[in-house]
Amino acid sequence: MRITTTVNGTEHEVDDVWAGESLLYVLRERMGLPGSKNACEQGECGSCTVYLDGEPVCACLVAAGQAIGREVTTVEGLATEGELHPVQEAFVEAGAVQCGFCTPGLLVAAHDLLERVPDPSDLEIREALAGNLCRCTGYEKILDAVRLAAARQARP
Amino acid sequence: MRGRSGHSGPSVSTDAGTRPATTATTTPGRIGDSPLRPDGTLKVTGEFAYASDLWHDDMVWGVTLRSPHPHARIRGIDITEALTVPGVTAVLTADDVPGENAFGLEHADQPVLAVEFVRYEGEPVALVAADHPETARRAAARIRVEYEVLPAVTDPRHAMDDDAPAVHRPGNLVRHLQLRRGDQSVTAPVVVSLDVEVGMQDQAFLGPESGLAVPAEDGGVDLYVATQWLHVDQRQMCLALGMPPEKVRLHLAGVGGAFGGREDLSVHVHASLLALRTGKPVKMSYSREESFFGHVHRHPAWLTYEFGAERDGTLVYARARVLLDGGAYASSTAAVVGNAGTLGLGPYRIPNVAVDAYGVFTNNPPCGAMRGFGCVQAAFAHEALMDELADAVGLDPVTVRQRNGMREGDRNITGQLIDSAAPVAELLQIVADLPLPPQRDADADLRALPGSVGNTTHGEGVVRGVGYAVTYKNIGFSEGFDDYSTARVRLEMTGGEAVATVHTAAAEVGQGLITVEQQICRTELGVERVVVHPKNTAVGSGGSTSASRQTYVTGGAVQAACVAVRDVVLARAAASLGREVSQLRLDGEKIVGASGEVLTGLAEVLGEDAVEETREYRHRPTHAIDPETGQGDAHVQFAFSAHRAVVDVDVELGLVKVVALDTAQDVGKAINPDAVVGQIHGGSAQGMGLALMEEIVVTDGHVRNPSFTDYLIPTILDMPPMQVKVLEYADPHAPYGVRGVGEPPTISSGPAVAAAVRAACGRPLRRVPIRPEHITGT
Amino acid sequence: MREFRYERAADPAAAVALLAAAPDGAFLGGGTNLVDLMKLGVATPDVLVDVRELTSREVADLPDGGLRIGAGVPNADLAADRRVRERFPVLAQALLAGASGQLRNRATTGGNLLQRTRCGYFTDVTKPCNKRSPGSGCGALEGVHRNHAILGQTIAGSDDPATCVTTHPSDMAVAMVALDAVVRVLGPDGEREIPIAELHRLPGSDPSRDTTLRHGELVTAIDVPALGMPSRYRKVRDRASFAFALVSVAAALDVRDGVVRDVRLALGGVAHKPWRASAAEYVLRGMPATEASFAAAVESELEAATPLRDNAFKVPMARNVVVRTLLDLAGRDTERELA
Repeated sequence: MRITTTVNGTEHEVDDVWAGESLLYVLRERMGLPGSKNACEQGECGSCTVYLDGEPVCACLVAAGQAIGREVTTVEGLATEGELHPVQEAFVEAGAVQCGFCTPGLLVAAHDLLERVPDPSDLEIREALAGNLCRCTGYEKILDAVRLAAARQARP
Repeated sequence: MRGRSGHSGPSVSTDAGTRPATTATTTPGRIGDSPLRPDGTLKVTGEFAYASDLWHDDMVWGVTLRSPHPHARIRGIDITEALTVPGVTAVLTADDVPGENAFGLEHADQPVLAVEFVRYEGEPVALVAADHPETARRAAARIRVEYEVLPAVTDPRHAMDDDAPAVHRPGNLVRHLQLRRGDQSVTAPVVVSLDVEVGMQDQAFLGPESGLAVPAEDGGVDLYVATQWLHVDQRQMCLALGMPPEKVRLHLAGVGGAFGGREDLSVHVHASLLALRTGKPVKMSYSREESFFGHVHRHPAWLTYEFGAERDGTLVYARARVLLDGGAYASSTAAVVGNAGTLGLGPYRIPNVAVDAYGVFTNNPPCGAMRGFGCVQAAFAHEALMDELADAVGLDPVTVRQRNGMREGDRNITGQLIDSAAPVAELLQIVADLPLPPQRDADADLRALPGSVGNTTHGEGVVRGVGYAVTYKNIGFSEGFDDYSTARVRLEMTGGEAVATVHTAAAEVGQGLITVEQQICRTELGVERVVVHPKNTAVGSGGSTSASRQTYVTGGAVQAACVAVRDVVLARAAASLGREVSQLRLDGEKIVGASGEVLTGLAEVLGEDAVEETREYRHRPTHAIDPETGQGDAHVQFAFSAHRAVVDVDVELGLVKVVALDTAQDVGKAINPDAVVGQIHGGSAQGMGLALMEEIVVTDGHVRNPSFTDYLIPTILDMPPMQVKVLEYADPHAPYGVRGVGEPPTISSGPAVAAAVRAACGRPLRRVPIRPEHITGT
Repeated sequence: MREFRYERAADPAAAVALLAAAPDGAFLGGGTNLVDLMKLGVATPDVLVDVRELTSREVADLPDGGLRIGAGVPNADLAADRRVRERFPVLAQALLAGASGQLRNRATTGGNLLQRTRCGYFTDVTKPCNKRSPGSGCGALEGVHRNHAILGQTIAGSDDPATCVTTHPSDMAVAMVALDAVVRVLGPDGEREIPIAELHRLPGSDPSRDTTLRHGELVTAIDVPALGMPSRYRKVRDRASFAFALVSVAAALDVRDGVVRDVRLALGGVAHKPWRASAAEYVLRGMPATEASFAAAVESELEAATPLRDNAFKVPMARNVVVRTLLDLAGRDTERELA
């Protein structure tokens, strides 16, 4: 199967994709974009969260064929022209990154939250990130990071 | 102590840990600061290479065929069909293991690939290499293994019965630790007792087991792998591959969490065997389901405890029996029994003690190291019993613990002197004095109530409960183990700037060790730019990233190597300046005099030279305990923590919302204060998870929930806000006074949550994880 | 995973025709359940016909005040629809309780109805399961079944090919059942409408069939008739965040002058299909809207419960959640005191 998908603004064409591969597998193993992670590949952990046509989804459950002709944004596409996105900076500065395996998925989910709700309450943050598991941090510094990113994005 | 100096090899350190830093540098990012971790940017851009991200041109994929039976004899393995699958390049079984077909952390009792018997569901039987992971899986499914299913030992309470099937040897005993201290016939006016059961927890690190084995021209192999101890992996690999260490080179790949689950081998020998056979790089990466079978779990435990006390609550005696289900192979069960036995009565003064701790073999999944290592299970028992004692003598839970809490100068139940701060009473007071969260108001957001987005409660039937727990944990390896680490530090000028490079084999698993290594170099060398060399077996062992020991032991090695480098540099500077070495310091890339005056620059002293030193660091020795009495100086350091949990419980539906989980912990010296708090947050979450929701369900030797659908770990909606208070009572025997941080929060958190739920619903709740039906009693 | 072909079709009729010609084929919606089952080897289609973008993504008003929900409407969009939130809050709440944002963005209304059970024996191809492998027996009956059914099971012995004790996992479906939804379907023989109570089956003598759909039938829309009374969804599970229900309740209640004029009640997590508590509804209509009535009604429904060895706790749990939910709807929960 040939997959043609726009990822992080660049069109990728990949041949010989087996139909049973997921979008996650295609990104990681065929397009050289291993930033999205494979902690469970069952839609339970959110580590594979990417934007698909503007909405955060678990890439592990998107069959390769369903990515044809779509637009995908991964963690590798959040920074613009070498500048980290405020949410990426905030995660580093707030100490929200320990092993970091959950981080890419959380960044996409947090990025999406802040696009929709620029000044979220703590409960809104928790609800929006409830599909992303983290085992290292207990989530406290992740909350700090999202608040920090929200505050920075609020300043013009 | 022996010592060799010079650049060519490691040198046993002298007491570098107690020598005060002769450099009080002003370098930013030194110890006590919270500099950002050096891999943070790579992790947020998705460029950090975890073991599961590794890629090599030409690589093929390896897959493991595992036993579906908890206990069976292998009558035959037929790989002919599997070999015919297009794209398959190798199918291997036990016959293909060139060295010893055995590995294990404490005993080499586990086969690399099963030979005659399989002893647990998931035991590796065969390997396949193919050009696509799906091809490899399909080929593995076509390997025909003829099993004769055998009776399995699945109830550890009967594993030592005379008629129990033998897993390895009759009696199925891994270790019995017997501890007797004081008067065994003493009585007391107040006696309380209980039985507690702790379910099997999983480390659930997010990064799946993964590695890339690259066959080398010298006939050896380079393995890039996520692990906790490169050198112990190397030792076992050498045995199995029949090769010397020079030909088995390990490189630490990015690790996605560990928590004890990567201490045992997983893909290491398997990927290497396939690589050596096919001549191609072999990538192995487990799915989450396979991961649940691919690593050891926390020992489930059955604990029977009794305390005798005076009427004022002062403990007179304690008796405890602890049973740990070690599963099919020994792993680190003996050491876990050691901890549960020697530390399992909690941080209390108890003059008369009898403890029997057992680790047994069964055909259940193998159990081994997980953060807290035997103390977690025991804490659920001793803390629940302290609450019973409090009730029996009419004291509150904090006072009864403070009354019995250890202090510096006490001896613990093995007779070991607690020779530095033991702030049990103070830690409890701190958490007790923290402001309580406000009571829910009538308009509380539903998401803040038990059941959360399940919309289950609107406040009716919700009762608040508060619970406390306190613990102590040994730091470092014990019972006489030769526990050390090695560091190589190099200082040179590069592009006009002084650069220190630190090279250890100590595994960074997310905890922030690499940042600590940098901070120590900045402190000791007065140089801001510190490069952390990739971690591999080209330097001496860093010891295990476990037992909360790396900041202490690898920190000590890095400090010692830095001091050695500094000594060389200052000696050169002294000679060229005509000054005494003792008058000189390093700071800000300069050689500085006693009053802070700049005398010359590092650039001038070093020139084109690099100064490189390698040092080993050992903590004070520990000792084996007496086999009859359990007495001895088994441990080298202790760390103390206390938690207070506040929960809201819907007592009709049995739902729990943890409203607050606050803690105080003595960390000796916070090298990186932010990272210390992060570790405490994470450990608290894992303890809470065990108290409320985490359990690997095993029946008849079969794992019933090997997925995140049914093995539930706390999400951000489950976790409460956590206040953390850090004490810094230095351990004078440790570098900078540090105490290990990672494990204590995992130990005192769960029992505090359990106590709070008990307080809310009024039920004894003797099993964790606590389920809704336990709370409602239905 | 079995080798398969991924196909797209031009329109629903073409998709139906494709599948009709492929007896081992399956429709692919959001993939949030099917792709997982394929990776587990549980689902083994040889053709996947992608219908996610094919069926309607619209939520349209019906003349009576109800809604026609296209089968392609993502769960997230449905939960966010203002009309759903206002007129059918039980549906919005059920969707939000169901799964994470990422899964809600992907999962479709049609697919959600057809998701398959999470029983650990079903999802493990090495274990006996009459649903997955007809005739292989039921591992759950004597095994791990804490989260399994208390109503409507077929309990005929572990080796019996009819035995099945599992539950339906969908929260949305429970709400749809309480709302008397009608499922619109396009098949090889044309269109038909299936009242939702007739869509999902009890295991009966053939647990392998979850629904009454025939092969090749494609859900195109779900009609939800006007409700005209307040409604709620409540879910009890093992953690605060996303997990499958131990017990859930979808309820609607119309109380005038302290008397129950009308009520809808459906239970999740208790049976092979969402359980319409018709007996309870019958008891309740015309009764005073009091805790005693609610308790009596649900207890009459639960008289038929046949709990297993380890899931009897679900009976009082179901009772308590129902009573709690009805009290909430009747506006009396703030006055209630614990006994």
